[in-house]
Amino acid sequence: MTSSGHCGHAEPESAEIAAGRIALVGHPNVGKSVVFNRLTGSYVTVSNYPGTTVDVTRGIGRLQGRSWQVIDTPGVRSLTPQSEDELASRDLLLRERPDVVIQVADAKNLKQTLMLTAALADLGLPMVLALNMSDEAESRGYHCDVRRLSGILGIPVVQTVATAGAGLEELKACLSHAARANRVEYCAEIESALRRLKPAPASGESDRFVGLALLSGDEGVCGCLPHADPEKTGGALVRAQELRRDFVRPPEFLVHAGREAWAMEVVGEVQTRSRAGRPGWLQTLDKWSMRGLPGYALAAGTLLVMYYFVGVLAAGHGVDFMENTLFGEYLNPTAVRWVRAAVPSPFLQDMLVGEYGIVTMALTYALAIVFPIVTAFFLFFGCLEDSGYLPRLSAMLDKAFRLVGLNGKAVIPMVLGLGCDTMATLSTRILDSRKERLLATMLLTLGIPCSAQLGVIMGILAKHGLREWAVWLAAVGGTTLAAGWAASKLLPGARSPFIMEIPPLRIPEPGNILLKIKIRLVWYLKEAVPLFMLGTLALFLFDRIGVLKRVEVLLAPVTTTLLGLPSETAWCFILGFLRRDYGAAGLFTLAEKGALDSRQIVVSLVAITLFMPCLAQFLVMVKERGARAACFISAFVFATAFAVGAALNQFLAFTNLL
Amino acid sequence: MYMGAMCRIKPAEVEEEEEALGVVWHYREVGDHGEAGIRQTLSKGVSPEVFDRLQVKGYLRIEAGKVGFSDEGERLARDVTRRHRLAERLLVDMLDLGADSIDENACRWEHILSPEATTAICTLLGHPRHCPHGTAIPPGECCTKWTQQAESVITSLDKLAPGSSGKVAYLALAEKSVMQKLLSLGLTPGSTVSLQQKAPSIVVQAGETVIALEAELARHISVRKNPD
Repeated sequence: MTSSGHCGHAEPESAEIAAGRIALVGHPNVGKSVVFNRLTGSYVTVSNYPGTTVDVTRGIGRLQGRSWQVIDTPGVRSLTPQSEDELASRDLLLRERPDVVIQVADAKNLKQTLMLTAALADLGLPMVLALNMSDEAESRGYHCDVRRLSGILGIPVVQTVATAGAGLEELKACLSHAARANRVEYCAEIESALRRLKPAPASGESDRFVGLALLSGDEGVCGCLPHADPEKTGGALVRAQELRRDFVRPPEFLVHAGREAWAMEVVGEVQTRSRAGRPGWLQTLDKWSMRGLPGYALAAGTLLVMYYFVGVLAAGHGVDFMENTLFGEYLNPTAVRWVRAAVPSPFLQDMLVGEYGIVTMALTYALAIVFPIVTAFFLFFGCLEDSGYLPRLSAMLDKAFRLVGLNGKAVIPMVLGLGCDTMATLSTRILDSRKERLLATMLLTLGIPCSAQLGVIMGILAKHGLREWAVWLAAVGGTTLAAGWAASKLLPGARSPFIMEIPPLRIPEPGNILLKIKIRLVWYLKEAVPLFMLGTLALFLFDRIGVLKRVEVLLAPVTTTLLGLPSETAWCFILGFLRRDYGAAGLFTLAEKGALDSRQIVVSLVAITLFMPCLAQFLVMVKERGARAACFISAFVFATAFAVGAALNQFLAFTNLL
Repeated sequence: MYMGAMCRIKPAEVEEEEEALGVVWHYREVGDHGEAGIRQTLSKGVSPEVFDRLQVKGYLRIEAGKVGFSDEGERLARDVTRRHRLAERLLVDMLDLGADSIDENACRWEHILSPEATTAICTLLGHPRHCPHGTAIPPGECCTKWTQQAESVITSLDKLAPGSSGKVAYLALAEKSVMQKLLSLGLTPGSTVSLQQKAPSIVVQAGETVIALEAELARHISVRKNPD
């Protein structure tokens, strides 16, 4: 180990007041976020697929009588970043130099764990190793001699089962013993090149890491050294390029091989294996879930369950009870009576309980129609996320996704889009190329209805026949495929190859599911209800000053002539700008009133499904893809929605299909 | 004191002859038997008198201005060409070297590879039929045997039977980032992989990591089959 000689920008030691920083680092899907939640008492989303965390998250935890800033990072396979989320983790480690790194690891993948430990050792940060999911490792027959491992690495090693809270106290107690891990000696070629590369850019304890990165051709590291002298950095870059040329085999391979050989040796010393197995049925399901016919059957079955659970049970019976019984018979009449009695002004009365009343419209929409639907959806979705099924779906659908210029990995943001397009737009970061991220963002905006909207749509269609369903699905699916196909041909760049780690299938933990639903529902209520109220208020005022009628007349060429819809639908589309589900909920009540026939229902639903991103999604698009791309995508989607709606209307009228 | 074995080095003129035989072989491949053209090419690389020496030794025959091999000459020329092109494959597929270093190395290796090493390399590479430039690699005995058995020790991952396993021999992927990703997932040379399924995606298990990947990638991962 090198001594701490030249720290360019070390933090003041033992900051009692402004706590130290702990970074959680590790492979994807090993439970960093669970540990984060346990250490900070806060909540970030936890699921069973790689790439749930795409950005750095910070929280405060009181550990060992001191308060620490705890940093959760996206999963990394190595510290040579290959995607945006991995880049975020590497940058954080180099830029911020946290006081302690907790490497959270999958106990059953010890070799890969140790290879990352070796990279972290080169980084020279004090660290602790948490062998998480040690129950899963035990159940597969792996036993690890933790004390011996700790001795070899020179750092504390703890076994944990973070989801159950096991080993967490021990982990906290270890933090004060965090140490720089013993470094791996690489082959002579690498070691001598490292010596010749010096003096490397001022990166303090990370000199070795930075040197290795430069030799491996990863020049991005220089951007992460806030205190480096640009001239020295430039010199090191040039030297590294020269040194690289002398290698017969690429330096990155030699480094990898060195780490691997070392890791295998250590694994041999500390790990023993006895025979053991997982529950038989789970293994069988695991095996069949990705294979041809049974795999597709399982996917279709999952969809069917979703339809019955969300569409029929929640959107049908649940909404029926909430809207017609609870709100229709009890709450709304009571509210109307109270308001009429307590509020003297008829203007204010109408504002609260009139046709466009905050209670009778906004709250009824938000709480009676959308709320039961999203609750059911979040429940279904939470189970899906935690089971580990999504990566399997990726493997099943890889070939289909290639048609639209993506690969199976994009299944994850797309399916997440069925939950919430805003969150899904963030998760497109897990995709490997800029082109794929752009394509996925566009397809999310165009063809993927979010849970609230989808639920409302299911609620409307569930009351109609199979034919309406089929036409809606074909129109939305066909448009999405066609747009994706065309865009993938137009946008420059290539599809990246499909490689996906498949986590084991697990039975979802009820505790985590309930917590997840709670967090998401609170978020829904906080975000959606005020927007619903705001929109309704605007609608009420527009109605009062007569603008609404004029807008309806103004939009009539589009709604009435092109789409063949009643002019009242204009305001549904206007509300669709605020939230996707709001527009759909408007159509829901119009359909209930019998104001729409079959063809109009299908045309309006297709148009509203394809229609604009909601406000929140638009803002995330601007943040992630830039204002230009966001505006361009929105304009394209807007035009497509109406064009397809109009064409569908003509087609249905012509063929007399509906 | 020197403790190792004495290394035997081929005399320079033997290397020259091998080089020249390789050139003649190449000319015959493209259908050119003209003595003048061959002589001219040889005079650029090796000494001009090599051509005469090959005639004297009975490796080459000239009939009506056309250059042909004797049986012995043909065998030597085939062997040197085979070694050169196999070396090229090895350098490209396994060591991932650039075009300039391939020629330089392959030209030296063609003279030093023993018959055993040549057979081992050929087997390791799965008895390839073409060099990286697309010309045919003359088949050796091992290739004929292999075709008869219709089974190779080395095969690509996508050709493994579902349920069987093998050891990763090498990865030959053009893109560095893809290669690194596969390596970091544990698909490293020497590691054991088992193939779980082939469709719709290829699914393999390496250690405790299960990985789904597209067939196109699996084709570039060579594995040494484990006996069942």
